[in-house]
Amino acid sequence: MGQTRHGPGRIAATAALALAALIMAAPLLWTLLLSLKSNAELLRGTGTAFAPPYTLQNYADIFGHSAVFGWLLNSAIVSLGVTFGVLALSSLAGYGFARLRFPGRDVIFILVLFGLAIPEQSVIIARHQMFSALSLHNTYGGLIFPGLAAPFGVFLMTQYFRAMPKELEEAAWLDGASRFRTFWKILLPLSLPAQATLGIFTFLATWNDYWWPLISATNSDMYTLTVGVASSQMNFAQTNGLGFLMAQAVFASVPILIVYVIFQRYIVAGVSRAAA
Amino acid sequence: MKARARDAASGEALSGALFVAPYLLVFLVLLVYPLVSGIWLSLHKADLFGGSQYIGFENYVRLFKDDVFRKAVWNTCYFVLLTVPALTVIGLALALALNNGTRRSAVLRGLFFSSSVLSVTIVTLIWRMVLVPDGGLIADLLASLHLPSVPFLSDARLAMPAVALTTIWWCIGLPMMLFLAALQQVPKDLYEAAALDNAGWWRTLLRVTLPSIRRTALVVVVIEIILQFQLFGQAQIMTLGGPNNASLPIVLFIYQIGFQRWDIGYAAAASEILFCIILAAAMTQYLASRGRS
Amino acid sequence: MRRALACLTMLGALLGCAPKQAGPVQITLQRFFGACDAEYGSSTNVAAAEGECGIVTTLINKFNAENPDIHVKVNVVYWPGYDQLSAELAAGDPPDLVTMHQSVISDYAQRRLIMPLDDGLASVGVSPASFTRAAREGVMRGGHVYALPFDNWAPLWQINMNLFRAAGLVQGGKPVLPHSPEELLAQARQFKRATGKPYLLQSMVNEPAAYARNLFTFLMQQNAVIFPDPHHIRLSTPQAHRVLALFKQIYDEGLTSKDQDYTAATSGFLNGQGGVYLVGTWMIGAYEQASKQPGSPLANGYAVVPYPQLYPGRDATYADGHSWVMPTAKRSAQKTRAIFRLLRFLKDNDFEWSRTGHLPAYRDVIDSARWRALPHRAGIAGLVDAATPLPPGVQRQFIIQQIVSEEMESAITGQKPINTALADAQRRVNDVLFNLL
Repeated sequence: MGQTRHGPGRIAATAALALAALIMAAPLLWTLLLSLKSNAELLRGTGTAFAPPYTLQNYADIFGHSAVFGWLLNSAIVSLGVTFGVLALSSLAGYGFARLRFPGRDVIFILVLFGLAIPEQSVIIARHQMFSALSLHNTYGGLIFPGLAAPFGVFLMTQYFRAMPKELEEAAWLDGASRFRTFWKILLPLSLPAQATLGIFTFLATWNDYWWPLISATNSDMYTLTVGVASSQMNFAQTNGLGFLMAQAVFASVPILIVYVIFQRYIVAGVSRAAA
Repeated sequence: MKARARDAASGEALSGALFVAPYLLVFLVLLVYPLVSGIWLSLHKADLFGGSQYIGFENYVRLFKDDVFRKAVWNTCYFVLLTVPALTVIGLALALALNNGTRRSAVLRGLFFSSSVLSVTIVTLIWRMVLVPDGGLIADLLASLHLPSVPFLSDARLAMPAVALTTIWWCIGLPMMLFLAALQQVPKDLYEAAALDNAGWWRTLLRVTLPSIRRTALVVVVIEIILQFQLFGQAQIMTLGGPNNASLPIVLFIYQIGFQRWDIGYAAAASEILFCIILAAAMTQYLASRGRS
Repeated sequence: MRRALACLTMLGALLGCAPKQAGPVQITLQRFFGACDAEYGSSTNVAAAEGECGIVTTLINKFNAENPDIHVKVNVVYWPGYDQLSAELAAGDPPDLVTMHQSVISDYAQRRLIMPLDDGLASVGVSPASFTRAAREGVMRGGHVYALPFDNWAPLWQINMNLFRAAGLVQGGKPVLPHSPEELLAQARQFKRATGKPYLLQSMVNEPAAYARNLFTFLMQQNAVIFPDPHHIRLSTPQAHRVLALFKQIYDEGLTSKDQDYTAATSGFLNGQGGVYLVGTWMIGAYEQASKQPGSPLANGYAVVPYPQLYPGRDATYADGHSWVMPTAKRSAQKTRAIFRLLRFLKDNDFEWSRTGHLPAYRDVIDSARWRALPHRAGIAGLVDAATPLPPGVQRQFIIQQIVSEEMESAITGQKPINTALADAQRRVNDVLFNLL
């Protein structure tokens, strides 16, 4: 990028960046401060959060209040389930669309692409009816299946496999390997970077999904994190539990932030690849 | 799967079909079937608890006459106008500012993307406590300056901008990352040539950088349009669509009609309108940019 | 230390449950009232619990402890939880017992989505004759009992007596209350001049119901017919205009708090931000506690009374109530028996529940010396007669309240002329009622 900027423009840009960073960080710090105050003190005014005393009592209370652990576990199961499902289905289909000729292939592929434009929300009423008929609500399957249908993964993997040199698999063919073996032994390992990208984004999207679990996971045993946090939020109990509520928000965010920090490198790399 | 006749076209067709079949099954059952049955449902006066009667396009006629639905459509478009350009421009600006190898930039990139991994219920919980006029962060800061608080969530003119602000804070990471990725793909020699011409920063930006990342800008705009048209959680949790429906988006309308009024035929009809709007917006954007290039 | 013990007890309970015997019948109970496991999660000491959440949580804990053959699993939902209940009913997988406002029972009873409880309640010795009038009207539809009543509640005037005294609005230890709209305005202005604070505190932001409750109350006091029949509302009337104009004037003159949501107004009253907080019976317990704390703005200065009668028609206050319903589903005889044992237990503990501030749903409790001995109950006992629900045949009352509240908010905050808002509210409500399936 042009590195030739100096003087007032540079200072203004740095100031703008600092302001943006402040706006970004302030709500997070505010939440952290609120979570460290006793509920009684917050009831007198949230301005007290700017000064000590601080306490870890709200976090201690979380450990006595087991619900949030269940929500985390459900979110993890559902997100991993969707992620592995999407990876498996998309890789298979992507290879099929990219490398194998079969009647109607291109038409079917275009239809799948058309699916990219179907918003989740426009099928949710009908899908709820369908899952009711199949008794799938309040099951892990009921939470996982809808995520498997998203066509984005197929699109991404097809593009990826198309870009791979054909020579790679032709050598394997000559050795007499089957299609599936070629796919499994040669192409799949080579597609790991794309798998990582797709996996991370699928995981994040599922982790944060709200509407479907809200109407499907109605039993508190099946609440995912998003629904669980919502269920404790709009309750009138909020009045006297603000500190606890904020501690719960911080606590619930920690696992996903850790995942994010660990995989940050892949996320950046993945986005570059998807954009390219 | 183990078709040995690998040279025969029929073998390839069979295995091709087998590779594609699992996804196709899921696609048909979980996306196409609900889409089609949703369209069928929208032609009925249908009840959440069973029982329905074919009424043709009556639900659609009702929708067009429904002030609340029209308001929801307008609100949603307004929200998209508030968020998508901002996300694109700010995302690009951040990417330009942070596209270097310094440690500071790496940390800031991490900060700007970190909110994207939080779930909507956490984000709204945080922002409610920033925005509420009584005890919110902004109100507390204003109070320390002896200024009156601002009723972000209760003023009909401010509610949607407040929801939009929250959304921009939440979603800014992805556009920034996409632009960063694109900036790294711009060939270095273009910049070298510009430097030889003594082109200034703005000139380089306008002549070299922006044309090179045009495709990414299009991707960002289309993705964000599709995402932001589906506004739901932020409005449901922060404002309940109020005050007086000033922040009611289409998806929350669908939810309320379906699960509070049990009128799922009507809700399905609203879903189809949403589908058409998103499809049209994305297509227009796509075609417009194609025409230009 | 106490918490560490609580944790250990919990752990013990968890481990104890681990080897699943043929064991206890499980009942799923779905309720609002919030979650407070951190404080009450393992307590069975009902008498020591405070507030709706604390009392209902300890009640269920106690029932579980006393009935080893039954396990009640609790599902806490986002208030009021009817979206979720509808989704569950549509999925064919409803819980066994659900909290339901009496104003909502018609929606579900009319569709046979909840079951009549007459025989089951009789089997555990609970007769509708034991209900108060308000509770009986609240839970009976077409001659059948569709819910076990838990309480009745109404919005009240919760008063900061310390501020009232400063404003010269206390006589003989009692708050001076208005008897007409003009008196209300005069007293509110006097209050504001003396204290610099708004006379009224109101939840005005994201508020789905409070506006409508005010309107219904003051329409009832004018003997106005709100619902000529269960499918039509009548709001484009001079009576309704009068009520909105009053609230608009209060708003315009700054005699009420503005821009507070429920949470803010609730704590605002605790912090002495205004004279009268318009909120329901459920806050009495919490505010009574605060009035005992030295240093609190409410210290020795809290009173609560029903809405004053401002119009010469009759003394009436809009009221509703909480109750327990049983969604329609196939259940084993054993499970059904367990559910009715739990209902009987809840009825037997209605006094404990009434410590929240809600009116008891049972005559023996309301007539009991121990209920009357609770603070402020003598002052609100009159509510038992003034409490007036909307006509029981009217469906979708929550949506109606929401629409009316939205339109009232527009009018009071000056975004729409009053007549337009009332006409819009009437049209929108009638549209909902017309399109009922």
